Amino acid sequence: MNGPIRRIAGFLFLAFGLLLLNVTYIQAIATSTYRDNPLNPRVAASISGKERGRIVTSDGTVVARSIADPGDPSRFAREYPEGPVYAQVVGYSSLLFGDEGLERVYANDLRSRRDLTLSDVINALMGRDLRPKSLELTIDDGLQHAAFDAMGDNTGAVVAIDPKTGAVLAMVSTPSYDPGVMLAPNAAELRAALLEDPEEPLANRAVARTYPPGSTFKVVVASSAVENGIAGPTTTFDDPIEFPLPGSTSTIRNYDRGPCGDGTTVTLSEAFRKSCNTIFATLGLQVGAQTLYDTAVSFSFDEPIRFDLPTQESFFPDPSDLDGPALAQSSIGERDVRATPLEMASIAAAVANGGNLMQPYLVSRIVDAAGETVSEVTPEIRTTAVSAATATIVSQMMEEVVASGTGTRATVPNVRVAGKTGTSDASSGSPAVWFIGFAPVEDPTIAIAVVVLNGGEDATGGSVAAPIAGQILSYWLQP
Amino acid sequence: MNRDAEAALLVGATVIASLGVGLVNLAQGGTFDAQVALTFFVFAAAFGSLHLALRRWAPSASPFLLPLGSVLAAIGFVEVYRINPHFAGLQRWWLLIAAGLATLLLALFRNTGVAPLRRYRYMFLAAAVGLLMLPLLPTSWGFPIRGVIVNGSRLWTTLTLGPLRLNFQPGEIAKLALVVFLASYLAERQPALTESRKVGRFTIPEPRHLIPVVIASIASFGLLVSQRDLGASLLLFAVFVTMLYAATERTAYLAVGSSMFLAGAAAAAFTFSHVARRFEAWLRPFADPADTGYQILQSLFALGSGSLSGSGLGVGTPDRIPAAWTDFIFSAVGEELGLAGSVAVIAMYALLVAVGVGIALRSRDLFRKLLAFGLAFTLGLQSFLIIAGVTRLLPLTGITLPFMSYGGSSLVSNFLILALLARISHEERA
Repeated sequence: MNGPIRRIAGFLFLAFGLLLLNVTYIQAIATSTYRDNPLNPRVAASISGKERGRIVTSDGTVVARSIADPGDPSRFAREYPEGPVYAQVVGYSSLLFGDEGLERVYANDLRSRRDLTLSDVINALMGRDLRPKSLELTIDDGLQHAAFDAMGDNTGAVVAIDPKTGAVLAMVSTPSYDPGVMLAPNAAELRAALLEDPEEPLANRAVARTYPPGSTFKVVVASSAVENGIAGPTTTFDDPIEFPLPGSTSTIRNYDRGPCGDGTTVTLSEAFRKSCNTIFATLGLQVGAQTLYDTAVSFSFDEPIRFDLPTQESFFPDPSDLDGPALAQSSIGERDVRATPLEMASIAAAVANGGNLMQPYLVSRIVDAAGETVSEVTPEIRTTAVSAATATIVSQMMEEVVASGTGTRATVPNVRVAGKTGTSDASSGSPAVWFIGFAPVEDPTIAIAVVVLNGGEDATGGSVAAPIAGQILSYWLQP
Repeated sequence: MNRDAEAALLVGATVIASLGVGLVNLAQGGTFDAQVALTFFVFAAAFGSLHLALRRWAPSASPFLLPLGSVLAAIGFVEVYRINPHFAGLQRWWLLIAAGLATLLLALFRNTGVAPLRRYRYMFLAAAVGLLMLPLLPTSWGFPIRGVIVNGSRLWTTLTLGPLRLNFQPGEIAKLALVVFLASYLAERQPALTESRKVGRFTIPEPRHLIPVVIASIASFGLLVSQRDLGASLLLFAVFVTMLYAATERTAYLAVGSSMFLAGAAAAAFTFSHVARRFEAWLRPFADPADTGYQILQSLFALGSGSLSGSGLGVGTPDRIPAAWTDFIFSAVGEELGLAGSVAVIAMYALLVAVGVGIALRSRDLFRKLLAFGLAFTLGLQSFLIIAGVTRLLPLTGITLPFMSYGGSSLVSNFLILALLARISHEERA
């Protein structure tokens, strides 16, 4: 009789052994699955009121910080001193609505791991630093403000990049909002109003939205033609009033509905300067779908962009979808071609940087509470879009656009500016109007993309976007 | 001398309980107040009286039982106090009542031993059946004693006496009565039950002796259907089958019993949405984290957040776990005392089972052997089932964690188990 009792007891001890293994798994091995699970109410509670790291621009301007509660120094309130200027970049950290922007992407670095319990002591003894880390941005505060001011009441975005490193110097999306409202006592109401606003102030138009690039895409087409030896700046083209789309009754016309030059022949350089659709439709067909697609991809179209904020992919159609009319329309940046302002700024930056497109980045350093650098970005080439020789040729053509073409209003006195305007084909309402460019041509320090979405039916890149770009470039190049 | 060590350990448990209450106070901004003193006196009185009863009436009893029970009760009490001080106030009364009843039991058996239990076995059977039926009483009728539905299960009964409303789980007491009955019945019928016959190459138990097994399974399923809870019926049925196996050494009883129960459990999972939800939450807790999986996830989150060393008493947030003061008390302890606390608690239950089984193994008398084994097994299996439930090793069932959960019926029944085991161990050594 003792036999069965021993066996049953053995089973019970085995069962208790399983319990020990199971709690060890939950509490010692898979701990983070449960402890750090967003569904765990303790996670929110542990973040609430805790100190978060600072976010600072390259010139030391604080754009996000935690201020200790005067009554209870262990509790902190988050502040965004620059308000709407950095709203879409920095985002916010809210207990109610979650985190957005860099506050979300770098939440693990920014949050404090201190919990004011024994584990703090243990971790301190083990030499771990539980204090929040800080972010240093590549953004220049002065340029950011210049870009924000230049945009004024316009809806759109500005992205400025250092062409040699890929560091983002300014990133603005308008209309904007004050991230502080997410922490206000009536935050739910204010946020609801922002969500319902048809102007979408919460959206980051600089990276998370794509727009038809229009004629700014001609930089890609020209690069492709030059790179592949299909045409050069002096190559001449017939100059018709309109370009009949193959196999269709529709035509492509120039913006002023006239010929590009005198109606006989015109060089590629002149067609680029005047942004002639007829010539670029012809050129696109000469380059061919596959070659143009390859160049677009080498400029980062159709590829996920690794970046510090969530980005949308820019789109150029697959060659198999490009029959004659589609290729002609895609060659002037219409039809299904879509690009983010970050992508268009990167194109300008690649031309400025001898054809090398640098990996864009926004956070240059992560710094711990003791001021030690935890990680630092080393600039790297993302793709080599075109050869240095091609880049030089395209750069010269872009300089003529600002000197005597559609982009004259982006001129900065005594500085050689290169650029390209673009006006998307809007059947109704405002077109997306663009300016992309860089300066100074001889040693570029800035590449820029400006897009405006509410310039009115008659708006063009040259009339609306170029002056904004000019204002921003002036700030940067004439201190 | 063993009794002196026991006394010292009981003082330790009393200090754990009262200091624990003090720590919870401090962590929540309070001080060492009357609650600390009150806890000290209640634990001292409850375990002091039991200790003195053992010294006087069962001096040879195992000295391990009371200290293990008292430390578990102390940890459980502190956690109940931390989650709900009001329940802790009531729990102190229950501790006194449970210890008082256990002391009374030791006094009653001082001359006779546990032998009288054997004589009145059918009274215990009737009591067990009657108690199990109590929750099935209508939830609202003229009599002051009514059934209560909690979380879809009918495990509770409420007794209303004027302004006093008493909720209790009759199943907790019923399991005790059932173990006493089974030990007595099996001790007497043991020779007959071991008869067997040959069918071809197999030796099987005499078919007519299988009839009680079948009846017990049907009764157990009846209970499952009526009370809609897997835990209580599994516990009772498992106790029945294992005691039968222990008495007869026939593995066939185990095989038949467990396969019948598994079939029943599977059928229940398909038939009752309430049981099906428990299975669903067990298999896929993250599928519906706000509803089906809510309870078990809150428990796992608490345990995970507790990690190795725990948040500290009064510092965690175990109040986020539903029913943290009863079924989920283990998760609350796991959060605030960490893996260290969880392992200590599980180890103490294992030790308690080891002590109980040891008493059974050493018993020379068949009745006492079966009784001790049945009691130890009940205690062990119940602890295992609920801890396994809240840690997602098994589907969750609605039973309490002995000594630790808040609740009078549970405390009373488990203190009586301790007293009975102590008495049996005394009789074997005297």
